[in-house]
Amino acid sequence: MTHPEFVDQVDPYLDDELDRVQVRALEAHLSQCAECARFRDERMALREAIRGGLPGLRAPDMLRKRVEKAVRSAAAGAGGRSVRWAPWWPLALAASLAVVAVGSWRLGERRAGEEAFTQQLLASHVRSLMPGHLTDVPSTDQHTVKPWFNGRLDFSPPVHDLSQRGYPLVGGRLDYLGGRAVAVLVYGRRQHLINVYLWPSTAGPEVGPAVQARQGYQLLHWSLSGYSWWAVSDLGLSELQEFKGLLKDAESTGSSVQ
Amino acid sequence: MPHLDAAYTLARYLTRNDADAEDVVQDACLRALKYFAGFRGGEGTSARAWLLAIVRNTAFSARRGKPGAAAFTEFDEAVHSEAIAERHPEATLLKRDARESFARALASLAPELREVVVLREVEGLSYKEISDVASVPMGTVMSRLSRARTRLQEALLSEKER
Repeated sequence: MTHPEFVDQVDPYLDDELDRVQVRALEAHLSQCAECARFRDERMALREAIRGGLPGLRAPDMLRKRVEKAVRSAAAGAGGRSVRWAPWWPLALAASLAVVAVGSWRLGERRAGEEAFTQQLLASHVRSLMPGHLTDVPSTDQHTVKPWFNGRLDFSPPVHDLSQRGYPLVGGRLDYLGGRAVAVLVYGRRQHLINVYLWPSTAGPEVGPAVQARQGYQLLHWSLSGYSWWAVSDLGLSELQEFKGLLKDAESTGSSVQ
Repeated sequence: MPHLDAAYTLARYLTRNDADAEDVVQDACLRALKYFAGFRGGEGTSARAWLLAIVRNTAFSARRGKPGAAAFTEFDEAVHSEAIAERHPEATLLKRDARESFARALASLAPELREVVVLREVEGLSYKEISDVASVPMGTVMSRLSRARTRLQEALLSEKER
C-alpha cells in the first residue's frame, strides 16, 4: 500500500520543489517503502515520456518577420502622440529584435556545443564505472590524492575530505574533456559513485545548464574559486545537490589541502 | 523579441494549431510592448515568465472570443502530428506511434492542465513562476500538475492496450 502523504510529495520532489527537511523525510521513507519507491520510479519514467513527447519548438521564420514588422510599425505609430507608450520603448524593442535574430543563431550553435560536451562528460562517467577505469590513484586520503596530480596537470585541484559527511573519497584520475586534461575526484555514497570533474574555468569549454539529467544520471555544474566544476552521478538529484552544497562549503571554508 | 521560441512553443501547445499560435504570439508581443513600461523585473519574475504570462492570457482570451468554438481547434491527428514532425525534426526522434499516442493524450487534457505541463516540462518554470503565469495559487499548480501527469499516464497506458 502506498502512503498518500508521501505519494503527494513525489512530484514536487522530482521537480526539486521540496526543502531539505522534506527531502530527507521523503527519502528516508522511500528507502523503506517498496510501494512508494515503485510509485517514484513510475513517475520518473512518466516524466521522461512526457519530456520526449513535448519537444521545444522553434518559431517559424515567417512569424519572426511578422512580429518584427508589427513591432516596428507599432514603434513608428508610437512616435506620434501616444501618451501611454513611452516612445523609446518600442524603439528599444525593435532594436533588440535585430540583436536577438543574431543572438538566437549563436545560441543554437552554443547549445549544440553544450550538448556535445554533456555527451563527452556522460561517456567519461559511464566509462569510469567499467572495471579498472575508475581511479588512477585509489586512495581515501586527500593528502595522497592531491599531490598525485602534481606534474600531471598544469593546476593543482582542491581535494576535500567529506567522509565525515557520508561522502568518502575514493580516489582521483586524469581525464580529457572538451580539448583539455582535467582532474577527476571520485567520491562514494553508499553503493553510488560521484565523479567530480574540475579545471580552471578560464581554460575550459563553455558552461552548460546547472542541472541536467541524462540516461538516468544527474549532472550538476557550478563555478567556484576559479574552477569549473561538474558532478555526475546516478544519485538522486536532491542528494547530489546536498553533496554539491557540502563541497562548496568545504571549498569556501578552505578545509582542503593547499 | 527575446524568448520568441518559448512564446511560440507555449502558444502552439495551447492552441494546437499553427495559424492560431502565430496570431497569439504576434498579439502577445504587441501587448508586451505596450505593457513593458509596467514590467518590473525582480520579485522572482523573470522576463521570460512575464512574456509567457502574456502569451497565455492572449491564447485564453482568443479562445473565449472565438464565435461558436468554445475550445481551441480540436486536435486533428493527420494535420497536427505531421505538421509538427515536418517543421520540428527533433520531434521525429520519438517513434511515430509513440508520438501520435502522446499527442492524442495531450490533446485530451483540459487546457488548464495542458498549460501547467507545458510550462513545467517544456519551459522549465518553477512552481512559483507557473503560479504567477497562470494566476493560481501554488497549491493549485501542484494539484493540476499532478492530475495532468496522472491523466497522461492513464492515456498512454490505454493507448498501449489498443
